[in-house]
Amino acid sequence: MTSFSRAWRLPSVKLSLGILAVVLLVAVFGGWLAPYDPIAQNPRLRLLGPSGEHLLGTDYLGRDVLSRLLAGAGLSIAGAVEAVAVGLVLGAVPGLASIFFGRGFEWATARVADALLTLPFVIFAIAVAGIVGNGLHQAMAAIGLLLAPVFYRVTRTAALSFTRAQYVEAAELLGASRSRILRTHIVGKVLPTIAVTAAGASAAALLVVSSLSFLGIGVEPPAPTWGGMLASDLGYLHQRPLAPLAPALVIMITVGALNALADAVRDTTGLHTESEELHVR
Amino acid sequence: MTSLQTRAATVEARGAPGRVPTARRPRRWRGWAGGAAALAVVALASTFITYGLGALGDANPAAAVLGETATPADIARMSHEFGLDRPFLEQYVTWLGHALTGDLGRSWFTQIPVAESIAERLPVDLSITGLAVLIAVLAGGAAGIGAAVSNGGRFDRIVTAVCALASTLPAFVAGIGLIVVFAVIVPVFPSGGYVPPGEDPVQWLRLITLPAVALSLDTAADLARQLRTGLVAALRENYVTGAVVRGLPARRVLLRHALRNAAGPAITVLGVHIPRLIGGAVVTEAVFALPGLGQLTGEAALKHDVPVVQGALLATIALVLVSNLVVNGVVARLRGAR
Repeated sequence: MTSFSRAWRLPSVKLSLGILAVVLLVAVFGGWLAPYDPIAQNPRLRLLGPSGEHLLGTDYLGRDVLSRLLAGAGLSIAGAVEAVAVGLVLGAVPGLASIFFGRGFEWATARVADALLTLPFVIFAIAVAGIVGNGLHQAMAAIGLLLAPVFYRVTRTAALSFTRAQYVEAAELLGASRSRILRTHIVGKVLPTIAVTAAGASAAALLVVSSLSFLGIGVEPPAPTWGGMLASDLGYLHQRPLAPLAPALVIMITVGALNALADAVRDTTGLHTESEELHVR
Repeated sequence: MTSLQTRAATVEARGAPGRVPTARRPRRWRGWAGGAAALAVVALASTFITYGLGALGDANPAAAVLGETATPADIARMSHEFGLDRPFLEQYVTWLGHALTGDLGRSWFTQIPVAESIAERLPVDLSITGLAVLIAVLAGGAAGIGAAVSNGGRFDRIVTAVCALASTLPAFVAGIGLIVVFAVIVPVFPSGGYVPPGEDPVQWLRLITLPAVALSLDTAADLARQLRTGLVAALRENYVTGAVVRGLPARRVLLRHALRNAAGPAITVLGVHIPRLIGGAVVTEAVFALPGLGQLTGEAALKHDVPVVQGALLATIALVLVSNLVVNGVVARLRGAR
């Protein structure tokens, strides 16, 4: 825990946690905070610039942009969280298991991880949505599956370094069972690494969710999402060239806060997690 | 045996990373063979996942094409026609075998061969990805070399700041920004569309420039950073001092001696980025209304046209694997040349 409290002292960590807390609150209560109905159309008020009544203006159907931004946070964040949760379970569990279940299991899981790493996120999610069904849960399960190899490798590497520790050997010699060693000596030590990876993975997942909702995959059109707002703004750039700024900034600030948090915790704990594969591919 | 030796021996016996000396075989060939075997396993697994997806959904050509009006007889007939009534593994092996000969089956809707549709769309993505790699190598390389030379100077700080910004900007957001600036506010580039290079090479280049720039930002930034770090380290090495002392011109020392050693990690970075570029091209092409693989996949996905979706996914997997192989080869050659 000391490493987390050391990280907490950094201003960048406080700032990013503050941003993330606000984003999370908006994701949960955004629908109530919205000053207007995010899907109510008003043909007489199309493509208005920012004003006192509509702080961020209106879109091509006369819907209030601020309301859509607030109400859209929920779907975008929930999607990212779901993908990371799926990836965490599908990755960390086999990652830990690969250490104890012998070389065959280890070899097989490592090859599956390699194979999953060749699949590009967005195309794979589109394919899954097309074949299994066009819903947010299907798309997020697909993204989670592609995030799993990262969690697998990170967990495995972290756990391996602890299984070679002398206290684990001592516990083995004292006759402790494998599951007991895993529970008492390894899981707790691996958790900070997993936390750092989860923060980075959330940033990647949020970008993929935004890309997918931009493409209209996973979310039905009238429901507001940050990516979907970008897509609809794209058609009316000549009328309102600065309209994409608001959703783009919201996406980038959230992603930036998650990445900054992951970096800061990584630096203060001295963890060497692989961050290469965490990028959206 | 001293206590230290015993300790070392027990560590060895425990299976710590002790290298067993092997017979002298050419290392490069072993590396290639091992790489090829691993690649084959990975290719097999990822194509299996791709094909398995089709079986996961209960999409059926008759139900997909005929909709509600499909009778059980229709479903049975079309399932037989597309070979879907055979065992799953047999279907997979047949599909993979045909895929190796370039036959990816036919679309359930249009009956157009999937390979044909992909061959029509792939050049779009290859154009923007290829130009993006070129831009990334030229701009990222120049920025990285410049930053390393001015180590700590103003140019170095500018490059570092620009790189930090560029690597946080997702390609589709950067693309929208580029459209706003270069197609709406200062209309010098078209905001979207595609013309094959054979028809109008100038217009083709104009159309793919903005998407390629948007796509290249992240890669260029990473490349510049890696090259800067590598070059700064290499320039401190003794052989560089030696070359300078011998009176070799600075340019030659920088480009021949230092760059050669700094280039390896930078090319590895490029290899890491190629899958990202291929994946990013799909979203970027949507921003710029380019009729590429992403559009094909998206349209097919919404219609549940399973063979097209599987074929498109297979094409991207093949692209990723082939480019990985090429990058590994280049890196191996660079290492061997040293």
